[in-house]
Amino acid sequence: MKNALDAWTPPGIRAAAEIKWIAAGLSLSFLYSLKFVFRFLSHRSELLWMVENVPPPQMPEVSMPGFFALLDHGLAGFAAVAVCMAGLALYHWFYHYQGSKSIYLMRRLPQRWELLRRCAALPALGAAACLFTALLLLALYCAIYLLFTPDGYLPLQPWHYYF
Amino acid sequence: MLKLESVSKSYGRRQALDRVDLELRPGELVGLFGENGAGKTTLMKCILGYLDHRGSITLDGAPVTRKNIGRLSFATSEHSFFPTLPAEAHREFYRLHFPHFREKRFERLMDFFELPRSRELRRFSTGQQNQFEVILALCQGADYILMDEPFAGNDIFNREDFYKVLLGILEPGETVLLSTHLLEEVENFISRAVLLRSGKIVGDMPMMELEESGRSLMDFVKEAYQYRPDRVSRALSDLAPEEE
Repeated sequence: MKNALDAWTPPGIRAAAEIKWIAAGLSLSFLYSLKFVFRFLSHRSELLWMVENVPPPQMPEVSMPGFFALLDHGLAGFAAVAVCMAGLALYHWFYHYQGSKSIYLMRRLPQRWELLRRCAALPALGAAACLFTALLLLALYCAIYLLFTPDGYLPLQPWHYYF
Repeated sequence: MLKLESVSKSYGRRQALDRVDLELRPGELVGLFGENGAGKTTLMKCILGYLDHRGSITLDGAPVTRKNIGRLSFATSEHSFFPTLPAEAHREFYRLHFPHFREKRFERLMDFFELPRSRELRRFSTGQQNQFEVILALCQGADYILMDEPFAGNDIFNREDFYKVLLGILEPGETVLLSTHLLEEVENFISRAVLLRSGKIVGDMPMMELEESGRSLMDFVKEAYQYRPDRVSRALSDLAPEEE
């Protein structure tokens, strides 16, 4: 397993170690994105409290804030990890200049794409994982927003950025 | 045959190679000589496709591409191995990427030079690193082996050993282009001497012909470079303090 993964990074770089870092970045990004859930739950309980405790004549015109206002920059962590992937690809390239010029060997391999594959494959996979996870969470949070906002309290334009 | 026709390369305004014509035939052991900055390294890098250049470089009539690049190998004093990998991992890597990798030769050379197999290359001494660099170039299974100052940092005995091993193991079809400053050392090992000066070939002579003419390689180089033996004494006399 180790060898199979190492074929996707520059020789001498352990793919498993880099995958661990990418996974850590994705996990932190996920944790940061949970701020949407906390903000949503907080607004929701506020709304529910008002519904239960404020008499209808005195009830102000309230609604759940817009989805993107609640989300705010909740998915920014994934963007940051994706940017780091570009840095990782650069690191992979310049690795071939450290301690020797192994770039000479890589550039004269009969396999045209070997150098590019080893430099870019893992960063590309990491970036794709970021995009996929971010889209998945976006869909999930969207579903939570639509399903768990109390009936009649969705804003008129839920996808507008407003409180 | 590796053929260079009118190969030129410039770095900005500086002409590193100027219409170089050169043919390397199978089985030759060619010494490439020239002062620092003469264009030896640039020439090799152009052959390997590392540098853009003008003119044509062909291998048996075909341009050097990914299809035939495996027929060229390269050993450089800058080293092209992976410093964090051990020798054994390099063997695996070469075996994977070069179908004609010479397994037996690798084994024998590693044993001969008593190089550790499981130690990372960065932990090798400079001399050992040079040896390993050359071993890889010799074992890749290439027909044309380019060596750019491969023994810089090795002691004389070590170099001597290597030249002998080189002569002993090379097969008739294998060609070596060896760039070095160590004229006297390689004189007895090479079959042809090529001299570069300011990016131009100023001398190309089979060693046999040189021997027949009774000249040494150093004589040939001095002639080609129009070396003036009185240069140093003149300079010294110019520098000497004036008599009062």
